Formats: sequence, structure tokens, C-alpha cells
Amino acid sequence: MSELLANLALGFQIAANPFNIGFCLLGALVGTLVGVLPGIGTVATVAMLLPITFGLPPVGALIMLAGIYYGAQYGGSTTSILVNIPGEATSVITCLDGHQMAREGRAGAALSIAAIGSFFAGCVATVLVAALGGPLTGLALLFGPAEYFALMVLGLIFAVVLAKGSVLKSIAMVVTGLLLSMVGSDLETGAGRMTFDVAELSDGIGFTNVAMGLFGFAEIIRNLEMSQESRDIVKAKISGLMPTRQDLIDSSGAIARGTLLGSILGILPGGGAVVASFAAYTFEKRISKNPERFGRGAIQGVAAPESANNAAAQTSFIPLLTLGIPPNAVMALMVGAMTIHGIVPGPQVMTKQPELFWGMIASMWLGNLMLIIINLPLVGVWVTLLRVPYRLLYPSIIVFCCIGIYSINNSPTDVLIAAIFGLVGYWLVKHDFEPAPLVLAFVLGPLMEENLRRAMLIARGDATVFLTRPISAGLIAISAFLLILAMLPMIRKRRDEVFVE
Amino acid sequence: MSDGVKSARGFQFKVKGPRDFYGGLALIALAIIAILASSDLPGQHGFAFGPGTAPRLFAGLLAFIGAVVALGGLLVEGEPLGKFAIKGPTYVLAGILLFAGMIRGVNVDSLHIHIPALGLVISTFAAFMVSIFGSSEFRWVESLLAAAGMTAFCVGLFVYLLQLPFQLWPMF
Repeated sequence: MSELLANLALGFQIAANPFNIGFCLLGALVGTLVGVLPGIGTVATVAMLLPITFGLPPVGALIMLAGIYYGAQYGGSTTSILVNIPGEATSVITCLDGHQMAREGRAGAALSIAAIGSFFAGCVATVLVAALGGPLTGLALLFGPAEYFALMVLGLIFAVVLAKGSVLKSIAMVVTGLLLSMVGSDLETGAGRMTFDVAELSDGIGFTNVAMGLFGFAEIIRNLEMSQESRDIVKAKISGLMPTRQDLIDSSGAIARGTLLGSILGILPGGGAVVASFAAYTFEKRISKNPERFGRGAIQGVAAPESANNAAAQTSFIPLLTLGIPPNAVMALMVGAMTIHGIVPGPQVMTKQPELFWGMIASMWLGNLMLIIINLPLVGVWVTLLRVPYRLLYPSIIVFCCIGIYSINNSPTDVLIAAIFGLVGYWLVKHDFEPAPLVLAFVLGPLMEENLRRAMLIARGDATVFLTRPISAGLIAISAFLLILAMLPMIRKRRDEVFVE
Repeated sequence: MSDGVKSARGFQFKVKGPRDFYGGLALIALAIIAILASSDLPGQHGFAFGPGTAPRLFAGLLAFIGAVVALGGLLVEGEPLGKFAIKGPTYVLAGILLFAGMIRGVNVDSLHIHIPALGLVISTFAAFMVSIFGSSEFRWVESLLAAAGMTAFCVGLFVYLLQLPFQLWPMF
């Protein structure tokens, strides 16, 4: 316990450095600014803003990125409350009751409850990350290649189970992602694989390009199809930002339960934040005394998912920092950023660079505090931004993305690749394929293949090694169980209902 | 695309779920491309995976899943094909490609494409102006102003604030 406090003290010392506070504030601010724009989700925001952190020192860069992440998430909820366009999957749920509240003239209360819930969740999750970081790092020592491989299989199965639509098609997307991740030089022999003799592909397809294409460009193309009349911005002036005492009493239980649920789901690899908000909302609705209020502006329907997704966003750092496995696409971008700064994510970060590890954890809490401070007064600014018509917004987003992608490697080919993935993403959506499992598989692909090959080599070609080692066998068993569960028709129906809501 | 597939005996098969059917076919096509592209790579030797083992393994798996999806689309009633928009994607794509081509210039001799490096300012402005045509409600003055504003913003942010090494203007 005292060690934990000492570590947190070290963290706050780092995070409280005026420069780092500045980076955190700046990150949260630009993250919100971009996250507020309709049709840009967290992944696209983080990918877009990645280049602006390159020039900073490593600790500052990661603190700023964490700020951008939380900012983007919060910006997304602002958009879903004020406009009926969810910026991203995690805030789809917030749209339901948040926008209804806004139409009833209670936008202020909805926004502040979202901020308060997020802040509370952030505080709890920060402590959780700090407390679990140590023990889980110890766990990493028990993990050999077979266990790592099994864990990543579990992560991908989670992503499949949690994606909406057909389980089979989600598995197809996972395999496609794995296959795409194999383009480029082979890890062990350096042989060029599936490069079609294109020199630019010999380093593999850049993750940022894939993410920008599938989540940025594809989303814009799709939005252009929809009539812009359906955008329904709350016209009324937002007054009474502070929630009433009754609001706070009503939502306190929902916030606590959402935080708990989100923290647990966030640790699991496979896109925690999205499912956390869905799960928290469904749970609240089920235990509520008057479930018919949900969807008609119930404050619990804003409080629970918002707390849950923020808690999950934060605890999803745990697998990254302790095991070196990115559990979702945003964390994968973090891996990219860390690698650029010469940091290899994994258990050794905590022992070798404690100032980075604890500084980042402390800055998570600071970031949450900043969001609550900057967002409530700045809500007017965000509303103005939301009034910018989409016909002017989308070309701006496009050129910004283009410059961002180009600036990472000074490579026009990267821009081209992102454009291709934009088209692919549009096609996928039209055929009911979910891009999220593809992206996660793309990220985990190289790690998975490396561990698979190593495990097979150590086991002297015996594939049963994954079933004879206890931890690995347990993880595989859970994966198989989940998969069977998701395939069962009855549960599938229930699952579809949850997503339809 | 046609919904019916005529068999040799003249039966009229109806594809019941075209969305899944063609989706599955595309997966199979992708898997075949991957298998062809990785066919030159050495496979397993001894206990060790070769560079070609994993790609062929997963491509095979993808082909199998694709076949199941396509078969499902053939036999099970499902969604019709979605309508693909042409105008929006075309202009958006053209804008992106223009940016990629102009920022550093391209020389593809076989296709007679020669674009000199035009620099950040012109590339950004051009990409903005082309992609904005994808919208159904286009207005000249407003668009030109927004393009100029966005170009100035990007130059200010990336070149002056972030000090990234961009070439601003064309070099002759």
C-alpha cells in the first residue's frame, strides 16, 4: 500500500510539472475539439493528432496522447447529446437519452452529468490501474509464447463476440486483418511477403493508414450519402449547466454501477469501451423501477454509459502497460506512438521507466479533472463548432487527415493506401462487415504470429502445446466457450436486440 | 449485378441473400490473391514455420469462411445489395489522390503522368476544392473562402507550430 502511494506520489510529481500539465491540457483541448466534430470517432481523432506529438519528449508526448484520448471520448458524448449524430460507437448509447434530455431543454444537465460521471469513473479507474499494474506485471512473467498467443486469441474472440451482426462475418474480418498484417518483411527471415514487388509495402501496411482509411475516409463517404437534414442540433440556448440535487441523487447509483462494469470490461482485450457503455445501459434499464423512462430522457441512461466508457477507456491501458498487448485500436495507436519514442510497451516499462509509467497514470487523473474544468465552460464553443455545416467540415477533415498521414513518414504512398482502405471500408459497411475486428486483428497480427511461431518451435512442432499448458488451455477454453455462446441462436437474438436499441 | 445464376440445365437459381453472397465471393477472391502472392515463399521446414506458412494458413481459412458466407447468402433469405453512391466517393477519392500526387510530385512514365512537386499550400487547397464537390449543396464563394482558411490553418499548425519539414511552394 505504501509502495502504491509512493509510486503515485512520483507520478503526480512528474505529471504536475508545468510542461506536462500544459501538454495534458492541450491534449484534452484539441482532443475534444476534434472529437466534437460529427462523424469522427476516437480512433480517427487519435490517429489524426498523432503527428502533433512527435516533436515532444516521450513522457510529454504520451501524456498529451492520453489527454487527446479522453478529450476525444468526451467530445464524442457532447456531440451525441447536442446533435443526434453519435461521433463514434461508444457514444451511440449516450445519444438515446442524452439527446432526448437536450430536446427537453436539459442539455446542460446531461452534459454535466456526463462530465461528472466520467470524472468519477476516471478517479476510480486511475486507482485501479495503479493498484493492478504491479501484480499484473508479475503475471506477465508466467506468460510464455503459448500463453501470449492464447491471450490474443481470446482478445480477438471478444472482438468477434462483441461486434454486431453475424459472428461468422466478424471472424472473416479477423482473418482478413491477420492476413493484411502479414504483408511486408517476414519477422524472422526478412523475406518480403505479399508485397507484389512494391517497395513501399516492404515495411508492411502502416496501421495509421488502415485506421484512417477505415474509420476516417470511409465514414465521410458514408456520411455524404445521408441527407444532412437529419442533423438535428439543439437550437435552444443551453442554460443551467449545473445538475440539480435531484439529478445527482438519481444518477449516483448509475454512475457507481457504470464505473464498476466499465472497469472490469475495459481490462478485457477486444474493444472494451464500446461494450462497456452498451452493457451499463442495458443493466441500468433492467434494474430500473421504471424502465419505460429509458430512451425518453432518463438521466441514468446518460450517467451509466458515460461512466462505463470512461472507466473502460482508462482500464484498457492495463493490458497495454503490463502485458504489452493493445486491447483496442486506440491502444494500438499508442503502441505506435511509444515505438516512435523508443519505448517498447510491456512489463519492462514499469521497472525500467517508472517515471513514464506512473507519470502517465497520474496524468490520466489530471486529464479527467481538466475535462470537467474546460468542458463545462467551453460548451458554447463546441456548440458553435457543431453549427458548421457538414459540406464545409468534411473537406477540412479530409485535407487534415491527408496532411497528417503524409507527415508521419513523408510518404505520399501512405495517403494512397489510406484512400484505398477508405473505399474498402465503404464496401465493408455496405456488405455488413464490421471494420473493428479487422483493425484489432491487424494490430495483434505480428505479435500473434511471432508468438505462435515461437511456441511451435519450443514445442518442437507439437500444436497441442496450447492445450497442455494450464494458463493457455484456460484461455483457449474461455475463447471456445464464448464463441459457442455467441453462435447459439437464442443468445444471438438477445444480442441483436441489445444492439438494436 | 444480376440476382439469378443460370445453371447448365437451365434452372433459375435465385441468390437469396446477395449481400452475403457477393461478400463471401470477395473474401474468397482476396484469399486466392493472398495464396498466389505467398506461393513463392518457403514453407515449414522441420519444426519451424517458414515465412509462407502463416499467410497460406490464414488465406486458406479465409477462403473457407468466405465459402461458408457465400453459401449462406445463396441459400438463406437475406438483405439485398446496398446502393453504392458514386458522386461522393469519387470526389472524395479524387481529392485524396490529388493531394498524394501533388505534395511531392509523381512521375509514372508508363502512364505519361508527370506532376511536379507543388508543395503543401497548393496541394491542400486543391484537395479541399476537389473533395468539396462531393457534397450535394455546393456554393462557390463559401467553398473558396473555406479552402483558403483551412489551407492557412494547416500551414500554421503543421509548418509553423509543429515545425514539420514541409515544402510549402512549388520549386522550379
